[in-house]
Amino acid sequence: MNRSAMQWLFEPPSIRDMAPGTKLIVYAILTFWTAFVLFPIYWVLITSFKSAIDVNSGPVYLPFVDFQPSLHAWKELFVFDFWDTLRAYMNSLIIALSATAASVIIGSMASYALARFEYQPRFGVVFMFVLVMIGAFVAVGRYGVDWRLSCAVGVAIFYFLARALGRHFRARLSNGDILFWMISQRILAPIVVVVPIYMMFQQVSLLDTHIAIILTYTVINLPIVIWLMYDFFTSIPIDLEECAQLDGATRFGVFWDIVLPLSRSGLAATTLLVMILSWNEYLLALFLSTSRAQTMPILVAAMNAGERGILWWSMSVVIIVMIIPVVILAVILQRYISKGLLLGAVKG
Amino acid sequence: MTVVLDAVSKSFGNVKVLHELSLEVQDGEFLVLLGASGSGKSTALRMIAGLETVSGGRISISGRDVTDQLPKNRDVAMVFQSYALYPHKTVAENIGYPLKIRRLNRTEVESQVREVAAQVRIDELLERYPRELSGGQRQRVALARAMVRRPSVFLMDEPLSNLDAKLRGHMRAELKHMQHELGITTIYVTHDQIEAMTLAHRVALLEGGRLQQLAAPKTIYEDPENLFVAQFIGSPPMNVAHGRLDEGTFVIGEDRVATGGTETVANAVIGLRAEDCQVVAPEDGAIRAQLFANELIGDHTLVTAKIGEDMVSIKAPKEFEAGIDEAIGIAFEKDKLYLFDRDTGARIRRS
Ligand SMILES: Nc1ncnc2c1ncn2[C@@H]1O[C@H](COP(=O)(O)OP(=O)(O)O)[C@@H](O)[C@H]1O
Ligand SMILES: [Mg+2]
Repeated sequence: MNRSAMQWLFEPPSIRDMAPGTKLIVYAILTFWTAFVLFPIYWVLITSFKSAIDVNSGPVYLPFVDFQPSLHAWKELFVFDFWDTLRAYMNSLIIALSATAASVIIGSMASYALARFEYQPRFGVVFMFVLVMIGAFVAVGRYGVDWRLSCAVGVAIFYFLARALGRHFRARLSNGDILFWMISQRILAPIVVVVPIYMMFQQVSLLDTHIAIILTYTVINLPIVIWLMYDFFTSIPIDLEECAQLDGATRFGVFWDIVLPLSRSGLAATTLLVMILSWNEYLLALFLSTSRAQTMPILVAAMNAGERGILWWSMSVVIIVMIIPVVILAVILQRYISKGLLLGAVKG
Repeated sequence: MTVVLDAVSKSFGNVKVLHELSLEVQDGEFLVLLGASGSGKSTALRMIAGLETVSGGRISISGRDVTDQLPKNRDVAMVFQSYALYPHKTVAENIGYPLKIRRLNRTEVESQVREVAAQVRIDELLERYPRELSGGQRQRVALARAMVRRPSVFLMDEPLSNLDAKLRGHMRAELKHMQHELGITTIYVTHDQIEAMTLAHRVALLEGGRLQQLAAPKTIYEDPENLFVAQFIGSPPMNVAHGRLDEGTFVIGEDRVATGGTETVANAVIGLRAEDCQVVAPEDGAIRAQLFANELIGDHTLVTAKIGEDMVSIKAPKEFEAGIDEAIGIAFEKDKLYLFDRDTGARIRRS
């Protein structure tokens, strides 16, 4: 068998077909890599059972041998600070799950629309909308106009401007422009927009609420969902969807019966990614929450800021409980991530 | 059910791909849209299905104007070139999908699926997934899915082109039989003239988005409207030779062929089918030619000869032998001769 280097890289032979020597080397490398990946988790796990002395007196590796494990850090978080921990945990769960659900549902529908419908908004009208919105924001931020009034007036002005002038604009945007606009939202580092976002929620008195953080996360995750799902949707043969239409399905029926099942791999992977991003997000949560809506990453960071120095043991406990939901979700979703869903659809 | 296209046209941006196509498909008819790749066949079919908007003209099905109807409201079923089987559904689910959408109850769906599956002989495969089927089996599933809900019209876009030659011939015969049994109006798109000639009640030949001729296969072969149709249909294509028509006499080089008419056309073309010509001695033929090559093809010899600059093919008996570059004569009966105006391509019918 002559296999090129590329084939070796991208279509590796099954480990069962290898010569014993090669097999041994492969297993050795895999074992090393596994240890490499798992070691930090192991380290966090044992650190959560260490006392301050164990941590500070240099590295100790093996519980019961190197050091005597103790439950003090666990007790501290789950007995003394139980309500604080629980609240942060629930906040994190509610926020991450809601934001993930919202961005995946809205994002995949938007993405499907961009993949299958043709939009041609007039450039001038879009431009007018942006101008009017900037005007509305300035009115609120600079001149203290009530935000509801400002938004309503802005929308009204835009509506009449668009009605009056819209027809005169020739240049049109395309789906590609919309798609690029979506992803351009992610080009800005979050730190750049954090202050405007903060001010916006301050205006509408939503600081330190779930809804503020959920909305923010949904918005920052939408571009990711749209971009990832766009690829999956466009890879579904259009014939299938047209055939379903002829078979009698509505546009939504086509999406539900044909498109969603065929893109479930992508959907599962995207959901997982968005969930992880929302679950671990720190910067925006730091600005948008002060106490009631604090999430787990904020709690972890707080371990860093006590007057007693960095509380490695407590931090480890929090990290471990933080890993659990993501692992559960990954295990659930992994079943849906499979290759070859489209096999047999066309030709053959 | 009838399908009527009334001056239907289609443009993609500035490119007009279908020019005022008008045709009427009778109830129960098998109409084949034939044409080279890019001639607009699929576009026409997709417009009938409602998958493509109409730029001009009207389409009606069973007397009902459907020009602005959604595909699902047109009561047509389509078999795609790619088969378009739903890969995540079993064969039974694929076939039953149109019924499921129509909210038939489960037992009803099951019995109807069984019935059509038996008709196309895939009842053994109902539990399989499309990826576990061969090309021919997938083809049958696609067919069954189209048949199961008894549409007014069947639309098929090159349904056999992904099969190998042997299976294609077999499926062609089955399709023809099935259409006859079901009696459902069928519009069938293909670029393969054999398919068109064997399947069709009538053939609509398209070129460059224009209808060239709409007629029964026999008519389209024997009585082509224009030079394009004449050269498209038949294998080998109709021979043509360029010359001029002088009061009914076709002048080509030094030869003069009486055609029986009286027309005068400066730029004219004669057409002759390979099987209507005989190779004879130079002095006995109506036209003299120079032998270019001869190839023995089983039951006959295909002789290629040059008349001036034009190459022609002639079917000769398999015993035929002659040396390359030898002078030969070509003989034919006068009424087998076709005349065309070279500038317009139009047929010149002898008065
Ligand atoms: N969606 C489209 N956009 C632009 N041009 C198209 C589109 N679909 C088809 N065409 C053009 O229309 C012409 C006819 O196409 P088609 O109907 O697919 O031809 P056929 O099926 O006869 O091969 C071709 O020149 C093709 O390039
Ligand atoms: Mg085509």
